[in-house]
Amino acid sequence: MRIRSIKNVLVLGLAGLAMPVFAQYSYYKPMEGFGIEASLSNTSLLRMPIYRNAITSLTVQNDYIIGGTTATGNRAPYLFVASLAKREMLTLKDLNNDLPGQTSIRTGFFKTSDKALYAGTIAAGTGSGHLLRVVVGADASIRVTDLGTPVPGEGIFSLTGNDRSQLIYGISYPSGYFFSYNIGSKAFKVYKNSGVTPADLRVLVDEYHQKPEEYLSSAMITDGQGLVYTSQPINRLMVFNPADESFTTLSELPAVWGRRTLGRTESWTQTADGLLYGGNAGDGQLFQLDPATRKVKNLGKPAMMNRLRGLCVGADGKLYGLSGALPGYVHLFSYNPSGEGFTDLGNPQFILKAPGIEQGIEWRGFQLSTITASEDGKYIVMGEDEALSQLLIFPVDTASGN
Amino acid sequence: MNLFIRSVLLAGLCQVAVSPAPAQPKISKDNIAFIKYAGFPDAHSTWDDIGYSKRFDKVVVGVTNHIDKVMLYDYEVTTGKMTNHGSLADLGHLRPFQWQAKIHSKIIEGKDGYMYFSTDGGESREEYLMEHPAGYSGGLFMKWHPGTNDFVNLGLGMQYESVKDMDIDPVSGKLFGVSYPQVHFLVYDPAKNKLKDLGRLGSSHVPRVLFTDWWGNCYYVDWRQRLVKYQTAQDTLLFARESLPAFAGTPGGKIVTGITAYAKDQKNNVIYLITYGAKIVAFYPQKDGIGRVEDLGGVADSGSKVEPWGPYVPNLNIGDNGKLYYFVGGHGNFLVENKTVLMEFDPKARKHTIIYEYPVNQLSEATGSDTKDKFGNLYFAGRRELDANDHSEPFLIKFNPGKKVSK
Repeated sequence: MRIRSIKNVLVLGLAGLAMPVFAQYSYYKPMEGFGIEASLSNTSLLRMPIYRNAITSLTVQNDYIIGGTTATGNRAPYLFVASLAKREMLTLKDLNNDLPGQTSIRTGFFKTSDKALYAGTIAAGTGSGHLLRVVVGADASIRVTDLGTPVPGEGIFSLTGNDRSQLIYGISYPSGYFFSYNIGSKAFKVYKNSGVTPADLRVLVDEYHQKPEEYLSSAMITDGQGLVYTSQPINRLMVFNPADESFTTLSELPAVWGRRTLGRTESWTQTADGLLYGGNAGDGQLFQLDPATRKVKNLGKPAMMNRLRGLCVGADGKLYGLSGALPGYVHLFSYNPSGEGFTDLGNPQFILKAPGIEQGIEWRGFQLSTITASEDGKYIVMGEDEALSQLLIFPVDTASGN
Repeated sequence: MNLFIRSVLLAGLCQVAVSPAPAQPKISKDNIAFIKYAGFPDAHSTWDDIGYSKRFDKVVVGVTNHIDKVMLYDYEVTTGKMTNHGSLADLGHLRPFQWQAKIHSKIIEGKDGYMYFSTDGGESREEYLMEHPAGYSGGLFMKWHPGTNDFVNLGLGMQYESVKDMDIDPVSGKLFGVSYPQVHFLVYDPAKNKLKDLGRLGSSHVPRVLFTDWWGNCYYVDWRQRLVKYQTAQDTLLFARESLPAFAGTPGGKIVTGITAYAKDQKNNVIYLITYGAKIVAFYPQKDGIGRVEDLGGVADSGSKVEPWGPYVPNLNIGDNGKLYYFVGGHGNFLVENKTVLMEFDPKARKHTIIYEYPVNQLSEATGSDTKDKFGNLYFAGRRELDANDHSEPFLIKFNPGKKVSK
């Protein structure tokens, strides 16, 4: 009798074993989320090879997801086009064929009304980066025009523009010079006094041992009036006024006490009401900037980690963003300015299907570096920053507010 | 009640309560022994963390309470003496915030006679608390000398990440590791204290096993279950063009998890692999390039009630007779309902033979790859379920298909 009860206990135990025992595992898995395999080494499929595919620039035009990558070492980056509808890669362009010696396209894309995309590169070693004009044809072909180098010996770290005035603005790497490019006259103008000052370098480099990629602003934005917002060391939120070519410090970036040396803008987006939202890399704060009043509101941190690598706005009116990075991993979050505030959506994990893996595998987004919305805001597209990076896409639930 | 259950089950174990299958009468209950780990009342399990020291004729095992305490044991194959050498925390001078839940890696002998291994945070607390003060500081590379008891903490792999498996280049002494959960392939040179992160290779579920060939190259898999070779001479990764063999319809979750066990036959230049999709593969490594792969079929005869990709085989050994031996079952995946079976597979004849069947209260899972002593005895890290709440008791399994074994 006693033995039978033991057996029953053990059978129950087995039944328990057969059940999923990892109930605490919960990822962000919207039903219609999916992945596109963008990277795979040694294949006949259209894929980017290892170490050349970190998706550091991303935008969507109609059905086309358009990306620019960053390579490691002295390898060359790619431009690519994938289809939202077909869920597959369509075109790859090895930038080395058009512009040798470049390693990174990490500025994001500034889109003009003529469907041209502007992006900047960083070169290997002490080489010069270039401003690119990228046009994706209806057949998904990629045409690249080299517009030249704003600062010899420097790359382009971040970029924005003003379609009305036909001006592109950027920040050089590693010195941090602010520059402009006139699309019509094809002329660069570099603001020599805008670089990181020797006094700041003493603090940033000598005292805090930071590198340029850790203190330069990696995101810029232009408001409806043509004013350009960025950050400059140390922890200053800046605005550039093209009318008088002045730089004005608006305020300090929201920071955790003692860590203002880490402050820099890492992401920006704009909502339909004209408000700007930015992310501070230093500790990962989301903040709101009202261009009309120039008031900055600290909205807090969506997760415990630092970094806020990307922001975009969905058709549901919510902001979607990427909080955290290595040595941790990203939390996808949403922010509803008029409702629930922050929602930590966690680690996304979507089904990825492709020839050879038709049954689908689950792909988990650990290091997501870029996020953007489709033109209608109905899809959020995310790119990874890995040795072999993929695209992860999910639809915005406009009916229920997701 | 719990004590009563333990007593009854231990009594059963002492009698080696197995059901010999009729197909192979030569092998009897005398060919297998279950050997206890003494002096660790909280012992819960073992996880692939077994290896053999040729230099000192010892089987080395890491036994865990599956929370925060790992004890290092060795079993002297000549005397049958099992020794508890103490906890990793004490041996490695770890602080409480450096808690380790398991050794999940193999334990592998280096040319310096040390046994190398790596540590693991053990899933949820590690993965989700992560950078939180109550989270996981990271998995460590470590080595222990079975002759002198000298213990060296070789440092972290990645911050917040486990080092799920590791191996060693027998020529250069470089260590290889794979991180959990982000699936980064790591190369660590202890001589230079230089760690290189070659980046993420996997998908959502971390393949648990990597292995090396005779030239010091290391193999892993990508998310398509293609072999990825770290070419030690070139310090580069080489990806196989094709995926390892899989049954039609194998779920993606099985594909991405790669291989679960291996056994090496250097004399015949073959490394046998078992995949998470229950395929047996003969891999013929070559110094340059990937090498040939041969599909040897499933881990069991077709016609089983379970799907061909279903059985879970996280262990593999090769006998002196050239046949493969492995236990099927664990983590809810069984070939025979609620039973763990020891299978013999003849790679030449491609014939499966079930040798023993165990109810899970006697043996619920066995792990470990390629652990054989100089007498041809094969070792597995076994455990059995104690109750419905995932309590289990670990023990060492000693098996010899050709002769009787003693504890």
